Amino acid sequence: MTEVARTDAVPLAAAASAILSPQLRAATIVVVVGVVSGIIALTCGGYWLSNFTQAYCMVLAVLGCALLYGQLGLVSLCQWALVGVGGWVSLRVYHYIHPPFFVTILAGGIGASVIGMIWGLPALRMRGLYLALVTLMLAGAFQTLVFVISFPVGGPGFLGQVGASGNDRINMARPVFASSDTGYFLFVAGVTVLCIFLVEAHRRSKPGRAWALIRKNEHMAAAAGVRIVFYKAWAFALSGFVAGVAGALLAGLFGQLDASAFPTTASIVIFIGTLLGGYDVWLGAFLGGLLTRFVPALLIDLNVNTNVGFMIFGAALLFALRDPLGLGGQITLLAERLYQQFQGKRAS
Amino acid sequence: MIKIDGLSVRFGGIKPLDELDAEFAAPICGLIGPNGAGKTTLLNVLSGFVTPIKGTILLNDTALLGLSPRRRVSLGLRRTFQQELVVDELTATENIQAVADHVSGNRASARRQVASALEFVGLGDRRNILGRRLNLFERRMIEIGKTLIGQPKAILLDEPGAGLNEEETDRLRWLLVKIPTTFDSQLVLIDHDADLIASVCVETLVLDFGKRLAMGPTRAVLNDPIVRRAYLGRE
Repeated sequence: MTEVARTDAVPLAAAASAILSPQLRAATIVVVVGVVSGIIALTCGGYWLSNFTQAYCMVLAVLGCALLYGQLGLVSLCQWALVGVGGWVSLRVYHYIHPPFFVTILAGGIGASVIGMIWGLPALRMRGLYLALVTLMLAGAFQTLVFVISFPVGGPGFLGQVGASGNDRINMARPVFASSDTGYFLFVAGVTVLCIFLVEAHRRSKPGRAWALIRKNEHMAAAAGVRIVFYKAWAFALSGFVAGVAGALLAGLFGQLDASAFPTTASIVIFIGTLLGGYDVWLGAFLGGLLTRFVPALLIDLNVNTNVGFMIFGAALLFALRDPLGLGGQITLLAERLYQQFQGKRAS
Repeated sequence: MIKIDGLSVRFGGIKPLDELDAEFAAPICGLIGPNGAGKTTLLNVLSGFVTPIKGTILLNDTALLGLSPRRRVSLGLRRTFQQELVVDELTATENIQAVADHVSGNRASARRQVASALEFVGLGDRRNILGRRLNLFERRMIEIGKTLIGQPKAILLDEPGAGLNEEETDRLRWLLVKIPTTFDSQLVLIDHDADLIASVCVETLVLDFGKRLAMGPTRAVLNDPIVRRAYLGRE
């Protein structure tokens, strides 16, 4: 994670979002995610439904990444590895005690939260490019480690492996009420909304204000009595938690996870998604997450090499650098200007 | 009261503070000196951001050196910075609330203190305006408002009048004079505006090259020929 300077254009979105009451903001989140999810659930099946379920997991990963970047200016290049950590922990817990699915999700979130906090420790001392590289190396280390130990599949021992044949692999069961693909997709959408609420509640309360002070100037924050280390660690923990929840949801989607699904490059793509979507508003994370999965899925569907996706993201990033609000920020700004006009007309 | 004894700070081969002795006892004290005299360094030492190589500092008989910046805040030390540091994305209320979150007792008390601080600095009707929409004077007022939260004992203001016009400086002057009696706290004020210092500070310390050039009643200090030559640039 590295600390970088943001441009002054960004607060525009935050400025616009400040006009909405908390209730209206919450209702907006439910309506937008609900409508998008409803359309997907009604129109998609099989390949696309699975991809949109994965896309929602990406949304959670981007949400955590945007939290760190938007609130503290820290670039996390190990977010997808934290998703993997969450998946590993949730599978491990599931195969040990077969708890209710919600407990499995929580376990994944808490596991990644702890690891995220530990991985965030360098950010308390390091700055700049070095810090970004450290997190990238951590993602690389996770990739190597998970290739060696693999994900638990219900075997004996701590690692839970069943040998080369793989015949005795046990899949993680989905919740009873969401056992179908459509049901599970809607369940993941619901969890996504809850995670967005969780992050938004933080951004707009005591931790969010503390992060804002730290972001502005650490000396000023310390002079205001803010516990810098504590609040930075809190941000890493929260970011790790939502990533871990995403990992658990992925495990639920496939029943098991494969090490090849967690390459180091995915964390970079998530950060690009964060910039494309916009990191100051929840809608940015939502759109950024959807895009990072939708584009590769579309390329596969069209029989185009998925590496073309990197070229597309690279080109889009050039536009994102010119417009720090991102797609979500622009839409939010537009929507809230319209809302202000509507309010003005109603008042007159 | 702030008491400083034999305070020295070294940055490599430079000594921005050199065997400084001073005692801020008056309700409003001034701290002046030419650029590079060590004024901001002294504030940074008082706040805990710079560690001196020797010396002692007492805030109301409590030794400050060795305490973390946060611990000093809990003892009632507050400060502003040369550059105003209002958070653009937070409203006027939220900017002050962000301090109240960490220095006030409970939520209700914090809310009351934030509201009264906003009223005191004259921003009661601007409470819901985002930081980025406030003008420089209002931002400076927010900075002062932040220092008034949580029963401050000593408030260190680093050039609160920088960039303000005459009318705004008058309003600032009026506000500063009221702080010690309203909030039962001491003010230490750094500013390059000698008129502002002369009109609000009872006592003033003059620094030059990290050393104490003069200290005493403000009028007498500002009329001291040595001070006039070194700081004001005139006999």
